[in-house]
Amino acid sequence: MRETRLWSLHLLVIPIIVVLLGTHFAIIHYAPVFYGMSVEEARSFEVMIERGRSIAQFVLYILLLAAGLYHGLYGLRGIIRELPLTPALAKLVDVGIVLFGLFIFGFGTYVTWWTFSFKIGG
Amino acid sequence: MNSNSPKSYPNRLGLKGWVYAGRYTFERYLYLGHRLSGMGLIAYMVLHIIETANRMRGVEAWQGLMALFASPPFKVVEYLLFAAAVFHAMNGVRLLLTELGFFLGKPKEPVYPYSSSVMRHRPLTYVIMALAGLIIILGGSSLFFP
Amino acid sequence: MTASHKTITPREITFRVRRFDPETDSAPHWDSYTLNVTEGMTVLEALHQLKAEKEPTLAWRSSCRMGVCGSCGMFINDLPQLACQTQLLHLGTDVVTVAPLLNYPNVKDLVPNLEPLIEKHVTIKPFIIHPNPQEIDEPTGEFIQSTEEREAFSQFTYCIKCGLCLAACPTVATDPLFLGPQALAQAYRYTADNRDCGLKERLEAIDIFHGPYQCHLAGACSQACPKGVDPAFGIQLLKRTLVLDSIGVGKKKSSVAKVRPLADVVKAIEEFAPPPRTVVSN
Repeated sequence: MRETRLWSLHLLVIPIIVVLLGTHFAIIHYAPVFYGMSVEEARSFEVMIERGRSIAQFVLYILLLAAGLYHGLYGLRGIIRELPLTPALAKLVDVGIVLFGLFIFGFGTYVTWWTFSFKIGG
Repeated sequence: MNSNSPKSYPNRLGLKGWVYAGRYTFERYLYLGHRLSGMGLIAYMVLHIIETANRMRGVEAWQGLMALFASPPFKVVEYLLFAAAVFHAMNGVRLLLTELGFFLGKPKEPVYPYSSSVMRHRPLTYVIMALAGLIIILGGSSLFFP
Repeated sequence: MTASHKTITPREITFRVRRFDPETDSAPHWDSYTLNVTEGMTVLEALHQLKAEKEPTLAWRSSCRMGVCGSCGMFINDLPQLACQTQLLHLGTDVVTVAPLLNYPNVKDLVPNLEPLIEKHVTIKPFIIHPNPQEIDEPTGEFIQSTEEREAFSQFTYCIKCGLCLAACPTVATDPLFLGPQALAQAYRYTADNRDCGLKERLEAIDIFHGPYQCHLAGACSQACPKGVDPAFGIQLLKRTLVLDSIGVGKKKSSVAKVRPLADVVKAIEEFAPPPRTVVSN
């Protein structure tokens, strides 16, 4: 059952990634269309912080981070484990990828929280 | 095969087998493209999380980074990443549907010349690849036609 | 894969055959032979003629010579095919390369060791698992199965265990533990059979990392299959079955095919009336 559950989750996060990543692309690359400001302006520090201070951005970024990391690292685990590995190495790959994913998720969440709680002017 | 028999030659294709193993149809190359684009995207995602963390080093560090990413070589890489993401997403939609058994037809007695589920969902594959091509070209319009 | 008619003129064809003698060679090498080929000649017939006339030490495996035993699987012109089913002139090339099936140990010349195929097939329990095992060993009647119930799995029963699908699969190329298209399609064949209720018993063998989720629908297996089994289709349907089973929407034991007692079967045959005459005799 375990592999079925892992794979089902890999599929379930796809719509989350498509919607949130698509929105992220739209905001960052098509700022003139959606925000009426140039791309350079949209990527400036001030505008970036202002965007990051909304609760919606905070929650959705963390959701995108979790979904993207799970989907990508499940795929990467599949690719690496398709190589001929000993059972010990296979276990190491599984554990290593989970730890790496948790680390990157933790780091990304910290950066998102830092942005959310940024005090303008110091 | 007892242990006294002469040694067989291990004939496993190995990693080469992911790239080329025979004159197979193009779905096999869509599999390769999906794998390569996926690896590129996960590598980019991890790098992206690390580089956007530069915001914590202050305004100047952030602005320096944005200036670097606005330079031409980075714009090309950005576009290639966009193309990889669109291909991976569109092919992924095809895989999401077909790996759950949709658009593959119904099992029936095989009568020569045999049809296969891969051939039966070709029309869907063509539509999805055409859409992906369209989005990739349109998305690069600002790059090609500034 | 047939050539146009202007290329099927009888002519001399060069065969590049991969040779390997385990007693003298450390690695395979290629040998070339030429043969006059006529319309209708298969690769298997050419191998017999080569052995008789040019290279008596040439080794391969074959049996029925009519595409039902699955023994003569080889890599012909970069595609895994049955040698007895491959018409030489229809390949459309003047040079035909013949190599042993990939992804199996090469015993000698064109002979693959198919033990990996058979071992993986055995792990998925390729037999009917019925709620009443005694009914399988000592049947009291016949199973009632409608045409629709039969068609749900029938195409996957045509597997002749030739092993071409594992030679084509990109996952089998690197992963020796991957079950492979044949075993996974057969796992679906038994799961979809309404005389079987053994999905739980098979889960331990199937729901593993090296199971159906490492199939990425490259589709090469279905292209290679000489009997139209379409193993790729079986694997995707197996994934759907496993996902539905994991959320509790699986096959119920109560939906297993009922047994019609022998007495009723005999009665039905006795009551059977022949169809009306269509030929009126004068």
